[in-house]
Amino acid sequence: MTTEPRELGLPEDAMRRLAEMRPGQATSLFTSDLSVNEFLLVREAGFRPLGLVLGSSIYHVGFQMGRWNKNQELTTLTQAMYHARELAMTRMEAEADMLGADGVVGVRLEIEFKEFGNDLAEFIAVGTAVKAEEPPPTGDGWRNNTGKPFTSDLSGQDFWTLIQAGYAPLGLVMGSCVYHIAHQRFWQAMGNIGQNTEIPQFTEALYDARELAMSRMQAEAEQLHAEGIVGVQLLSLPHRWGGHTTEFFAIGTAVRPLRDDHVIDTPQLVLPLTDR
Amino acid sequence: MAIASLSMSEWDGRGLPPAAQARIARASTAHVRTSLLSAPAAAALGGLGLEPVGEVMGCVVEHIGWGGVGCGLYYSGMGGMSYGYARTQISGQGGYAGYAPYVNALYYGYEQSLHRMLLEAQGLGADGVVGVRWTQEGLDETGNREFVAMGTAVRARSTSRPARIFSTDLDGPDVAKLLHGGWAPAALVIGISVGVRHDDYYTRMQARPWSNTNVEVEGYTELVTHTRADAREQFAVRVGHTGADAAIVSDMTLRVSEVEPSDGHRDHVAIATMTGTGVAKFHLGVAARTDTLTVMPMRTLSSRSRP
Repeated sequence: MTTEPRELGLPEDAMRRLAEMRPGQATSLFTSDLSVNEFLLVREAGFRPLGLVLGSSIYHVGFQMGRWNKNQELTTLTQAMYHARELAMTRMEAEADMLGADGVVGVRLEIEFKEFGNDLAEFIAVGTAVKAEEPPPTGDGWRNNTGKPFTSDLSGQDFWTLIQAGYAPLGLVMGSCVYHIAHQRFWQAMGNIGQNTEIPQFTEALYDARELAMSRMQAEAEQLHAEGIVGVQLLSLPHRWGGHTTEFFAIGTAVRPLRDDHVIDTPQLVLPLTDR
Repeated sequence: MAIASLSMSEWDGRGLPPAAQARIARASTAHVRTSLLSAPAAAALGGLGLEPVGEVMGCVVEHIGWGGVGCGLYYSGMGGMSYGYARTQISGQGGYAGYAPYVNALYYGYEQSLHRMLLEAQGLGADGVVGVRWTQEGLDETGNREFVAMGTAVRARSTSRPARIFSTDLDGPDVAKLLHGGWAPAALVIGISVGVRHDDYYTRMQARPWSNTNVEVEGYTELVTHTRADAREQFAVRVGHTGADAAIVSDMTLRVSEVEPSDGHRDHVAIATMTGTGVAKFHLGVAARTDTLTVMPMRTLSSRSRP
């Protein structure tokens, strides 16, 4: 029986490579927490993963309470949430810088309030440092105008698409606002019973808080001379402060153009036969 | 096989337990091939020339105590001073080795369960095991833990055989994509580290409850940073030992708990792990195939999922 070369091809090559493997032989090893899809796509986009990079900070978030019936930003908490994230991000960037990276993709920012202390939270930034095989077509480097590696919370798939479309990430930009939403006065709450009615001070509070978070994010993007911000998420994070105190958090990736036309191949439509 | 008639009490602890020996013996005569693969996984691997030969399992039950738990302060050379500056002690960095037996016991559990699973796979004539679920679980309150490795053994339609059976926690479609991209999964690896740090005066001040100051608790940051860095280092070294070129991390955990070795004296202990698959490049010299199609799936996807 003859075997088609195609039939033998891949596993044959793969098994031969595994047969040659010797424990402890010197390799230029890198680690990455990208999924397989992302790992392959990032390479296809012309970037080599250098390693997993991580920054962490355990932070004591100061105690602050809002006035019962007042809409107000809790600045102590806002500053804590922003500063601690920034510490984690800066440390992650420093690790990437040490690896000589052009950027960090697939960044995840996580917050975990710890059980072992009051108001203690760990802020973590994790991503995969990458280095480009070619300089960008714009002639400058891949790093942003602060000289630091670019950062982006886009998935490998989104990153690939972004590069294909002629854009490059500049940096992860974020804005935070911890807001205390006023409780209703007793007679006001009584007056609303059984009625469909807007509660103006709640609406106003949510507007105000989101606007503050988004404008802070936008200011960061302007500092990076970005053309725009993609993949923005606007989150309401209740954390641990009870029902009326919420963090509004805006995060996205600031981008710049690499070329003038931003056309990608027309995607083919597929109908997946799996239920997930 | 004569050995299959041994009972568990006669087993000397080497190689495979009698029950697993019996399973292999049975598989050599049976014609049914079992697998834990989903239909898409089986199709993806089959299309590449990797046929499932059976599901395989390895397990160990171990008793793990907290070993030489001491106080993080004493071993950082501060004596009884309560205003000194403590330092994080890491299991993998020599020096204070109070938690080294604990870490070694964890390593033993993970590695032994994987080893037994691979022995079973070898008995079935497999080249590798895909979709490995590698877990540990406490069985009771006395410190008995079970470590289990379970996956699907596959055999390649190939004339070469790997030097060591490969193992990966990636599932079928991911393994297929890796191979298409010119990468072969090599070995499942874990890095583990335990760090301990005494709560010194500064830490206590920075972490005191109800204070209205925003401040980084440098002691705890140091504890988690050093412990996690050690786990990452251990992971990288172990992947390096397998001869792989890269590693795809699948899981990273960190747990911090408070211990009180004596009255009014608190330490914090952090346990960090990092798990993933070492992968080896086989498209030597030539660039990997790049034939990604841009497709638009006709279903709703959560925009934030990272499939």
